[in-house]
Amino acid sequence: MAGTVIGEGLSIEGEITSDEEVVVQGNLRGKLSSTDAVSIGPSSVVQADIAGQSVSIAGQVTGDVSAPERVDIQAGGRLVGDVKAARFTIADGASFKGAVDMEV
Amino acid sequence: MSPASVIGAGTVVRGNVEGEGSLELFGRVEGDVSMSGDVLVAEGASVLGSISAAKISVLGAVQGDLRGSEAVLVERGARVVGDLSAPRIGISAGGLVRGNVRTEGEPSAAAQRRPVAAAPVAHRPPQVALSPKPPQVAPAPLPAREVATTDAVHLVARSKEPERRPPPPVLPSLGKGAKGKKKKDRDSDD
Repeated sequence: MAGTVIGEGLSIEGEITSDEEVVVQGNLRGKLSSTDAVSIGPSSVVQADIAGQSVSIAGQVTGDVSAPERVDIQAGGRLVGDVKAARFTIADGASFKGAVDMEV
Repeated sequence: MSPASVIGAGTVVRGNVEGEGSLELFGRVEGDVSMSGDVLVAEGASVLGSISAAKISVLGAVQGDLRGSEAVLVERGARVVGDLSAPRIGISAGGLVRGNVRTEGEPSAAAQRRPVAAAPVAHRPPQVALSPKPPQVAPAPLPAREVATTDAVHLVARSKEPERRPPPPVLPSLGKGAKGKKKKDRDSDD
């Protein structure tokens, strides 16, 4: 069970900090950082910088994304912003605009 | 429609939270919360800001006003610093409230007067005011006191009656004669 779930009907304007898994299915504007996994659901609209252990994006994200482990943009996901991660995948059908830093 | 939203115990939200559906808070929110459904502030959770929702249940700490379109329930162990307003308000034994309490949306004038009188709620916690019937909710503590005082009055009155009866011991002294018996009979007939 995910520690924190921002449900579909929920909008948060501000900053979220967490040390547990965060699942966003609603709207978020501001900043999101977690020391655990972050998942952006298909129906979500996020305008925020995201930091997490690993970040999975299936919704619409505008903002920079960084994760020490990995960042994945799922099919149908959309990311406008820079990515900083050791591993980075973009699924077929995903859209992405931004710079990538894989800490080479 | 939407899955319930959860702010986990390890999560801090700085900003406003609003939306449809219900929300369960285990972590910390520094900002206002506005939901169309129910809001649960669980044990260990804290909210620094006002909450408005259909039904608000508090087991944690809230510093801010609680506005419920249906109900506000302050459960045991909860701490609330702020005003409560809802058609139904319940404060359980062990729930602490500092603020004004108003049961709104009630036609009963008595139900509106009482909460104002009950505004200093600090001494309420020991009394259970959890009631499904709105008009009785806030007034509950006061009638309880009234009952207590009237009981005391009865007790005093009863204790006085035996004291007034002892004077009749005068009767035995009168009763030594035959006239006394007749008087006794008359008294008992009266």
